[in-house]
Amino acid sequence: MSISLDSGLYQVTHNPLFGILLTLLSFKAGLYIYQRYGRLPYLHPVLLSVLLVIACLLGLGLSFDAYYKGAKALHWCLGPVIVALAVPLYENLKTLRRHWLPFFTALLLGGSGTIVCAVFILWLCDASLVSQNTMWSKSITTAIAVEVAPKIGGIAALAAAIVMVTGILAAVTGPWLLKVTGIHHPAAQGTALGVCGHAVGTARALEIGSEAGAFAALSMGIMGILCALLLPLIL
Amino acid sequence: MLNGLITLLSFFLAGEFTAAALHLPVPGSVLGMLLLFIFLLWRGAIPTPVKTASTGLLPYLPLFIVPASVAILNHLNLLSRDWLPISLAVVISLVVGIPLTGWLMQRMMGYTK
Repeated sequence: MSISLDSGLYQVTHNPLFGILLTLLSFKAGLYIYQRYGRLPYLHPVLLSVLLVIACLLGLGLSFDAYYKGAKALHWCLGPVIVALAVPLYENLKTLRRHWLPFFTALLLGGSGTIVCAVFILWLCDASLVSQNTMWSKSITTAIAVEVAPKIGGIAALAAAIVMVTGILAAVTGPWLLKVTGIHHPAAQGTALGVCGHAVGTARALEIGSEAGAFAALSMGIMGILCALLLPLIL
Repeated sequence: MLNGLITLLSFFLAGEFTAAALHLPVPGSVLGMLLLFIFLLWRGAIPTPVKTASTGLLPYLPLFIVPASVAILNHLNLLSRDWLPISLAVVISLVVGIPLTGWLMQRMMGYTK
């Protein structure tokens, strides 16, 4: 009996469950690094695990399609998990009893301001149409952005990349930007971080305090819903 | 937990149904979330199984984003073509957006106080 490592490895890497295991392991590693090194925004666990998965696929000479054959089962679960976001949204709603009019004004004008600004720059620089379409999803939290991007002629993966980088930058530079522009009220700080920095921005706002955190979580949720409902109808 | 998962899956498929039946180009998952949100508003409380399922699942939300993000491997041409304008757009829109949003909110709160 001869031992054939190659055919064994082939059997493992081409099993649909391999993609799932690889994703779980990479996510575990990403989460470990993020928690081990002080939860720094640029050590975003999803970004780390995506890079790890890509490195493994390149190292093993596997295509994205071979990986996705199994990993798409995880992607299907995203839908029901998005539905679960209704629970924290409902819990944060009581925050809105105060400042609801300033909140919605800032969310609508500030949100459309930052989105239109980004798309306008891509248009000015003559970026490809698919990048311009994807950029409309920049202020949606990643989970919803990957669902919205294909509906508006964009690419889910590019949307995820744009949203994650945006969130990281917002968390890193946001508090400083707010300070130099004289925005001191925690509710205003939270709303700005939630509208422009979604989940990573919200994590940063929670470090400022619970009021900033609640407004950030609320603006992330409402921004995601409004963009998901309106962008496919407008574009 | 089981009842909570059944509820989440049912609302998700109800959202998919609504999107397809009304020919809405909107993600079914977001419609499902809205339907659950409206249900919670109507009930005035979060049913325990729904609370259990969402507390159990939401910490893993980032995990479920990974597969779709890895697909960037298939779009490296686009990234190498557009990375500079995309980076510019991300940075400038942030420098504009954060102060604008915060300023609007703070200014308006001054008026309504």
